[in-house]
Amino acid sequence: MYNNVGSQPGVVQPPTNTQPNPFGSAFQVAGSGLIRGGLGAYGGKILGSSSEYVQSNISRYFSDPQYYFQVNDHYVKNKLKVVLFPFLHRGHWTRITEPVGGRLSYKPPIYDINAPDLYIPLMAFGTYVVLAGLSLGLHGKFSPEALNLLFIKGLLGWFMQAALLKVTLLSLGSGEAPLLDIIAYAGYTFTGICLAVIGRIISGYSYYFLMPWTCLCMGVFLVKTMKRVLFAEVRSYDSSKHHYLLLFIALVQFPLFIWLGNITINWLL
Amino acid sequence: MEKEFKVPPVSFASVGNPAGQNLQNRRVPIPPFQPNSGIPFMSFDIGSAAVSTSSGPIYSGPGIGGGGSVNFDDEEPLLDELGIHPDQIWSKIRSVLNPFRVNHTVHKDSDLSGPILLYMAFCLFQLLAGKIQFGVILGWIVVSSIFLYVVFNMLAGRTGNLDLHTCTSVVGYSMLPVVIFSAISLFLPQGGFFGLAIAAVFVLWATRASTGLVVSLTDGGDEHRGLIAYACFLIYTLFSLLVIF
Repeated sequence: MYNNVGSQPGVVQPPTNTQPNPFGSAFQVAGSGLIRGGLGAYGGKILGSSSEYVQSNISRYFSDPQYYFQVNDHYVKNKLKVVLFPFLHRGHWTRITEPVGGRLSYKPPIYDINAPDLYIPLMAFGTYVVLAGLSLGLHGKFSPEALNLLFIKGLLGWFMQAALLKVTLLSLGSGEAPLLDIIAYAGYTFTGICLAVIGRIISGYSYYFLMPWTCLCMGVFLVKTMKRVLFAEVRSYDSSKHHYLLLFIALVQFPLFIWLGNITINWLL
Repeated sequence: MEKEFKVPPVSFASVGNPAGQNLQNRRVPIPPFQPNSGIPFMSFDIGSAAVSTSSGPIYSGPGIGGGGSVNFDDEEPLLDELGIHPDQIWSKIRSVLNPFRVNHTVHKDSDLSGPILLYMAFCLFQLLAGKIQFGVILGWIVVSSIFLYVVFNMLAGRTGNLDLHTCTSVVGYSMLPVVIFSAISLFLPQGGFFGLAIAAVFVLWATRASTGLVVSLTDGGDEHRGLIAYACFLIYTLFSLLVIF
């Protein structure tokens, strides 16, 4: 980004980016350094005309991602316990709401164990990729390309899980849960899968016990969470349809886990 | 027959050349075999054109001022011009070498030339092991530093002030244990249990170094130390996978 190219020699051009950060306050922390520094001269020109449009749409689809990263050690430990052993969770599953500026909003994850967060899914996904690489390597099949393939496979699995949850919500008449919530709930499956893969690495036979176990746990966790989400979001309560869909969610976990847990180099299984 | 040019022809020998304004558009400096020609318009200021690898503004183009002349003896040494300071790099590397107490004051201004050096050393050791992975390692360094940047800034919220340059610098310098590990693993049997145990030691060393650096160089990281440590642990385990297998 050479500001002085083509300008008068000896005249220093002031930076031209006076536009507000186009992605709104949500990205201001993470993006401000990169966007202001990196896109300095061009950001204003390229995104100037459409910045308001982009800003309104992005904030419509992505609620503030900062909310999902307000975690601490205590929350992470307890949330992992809830995700991996959901039947041991004695408390209720509803999220605590607090009135903020007239609208009802949920408390951030530090204060509420039932709130979704994005830190655990991200780390679980990374752990899954690393463990999958380790497992490939122990069987002699490691290569960086295989790791890239596993990364894409994991992303696809995450996407499919999120799509499943979203379709469930939509088919019951309202899909108004925030997108990042759905992505967070979908990402919790990777914790269970990591456990299954660790089991597989340690001893081959324990995999056949651990895998259905974590599958079941994940199914229970998702059912309980989605029940609460549906209860909060959907207006009409159609009992039998709800229950069939929740059962379907729990059952679909099995093929998904089998597909993701079986770490090989080819796409299918 | 002589053509009539609007531009009077340039004669280098004269002082105070009136054809100065025509040659301002040229970006090529006059070659320095006329040291005392005293051409007023042509002072290609080499100092400001240095591609500085420190975290200063790197988008300033060549500033063309008036007066002065290009003198070969007045040029800066090459390393200073490029912004590479070997003694600084060496002191930073030495600070990472001690796994128990990382001296973070020398890392205050981040630079990328040390990480590039460590990257080349890493690729060299991998090459000696028979694996040609230059592109892979570079790509993974870029991706993992972006990952750490996003995770840290999201966790730290409004008070976080890690920028990508510092992040890449920290990730790069903390690769030193992995580089040492790849050198050592040339002499170890491939894939054995011993290799895994040693890998764990080096990965923990690298994690400790990078977490210490990140937390002490920025503002908002103190209460999230364990969370950031886990992210760094993932990054260096990934690189150690490349070394072991």
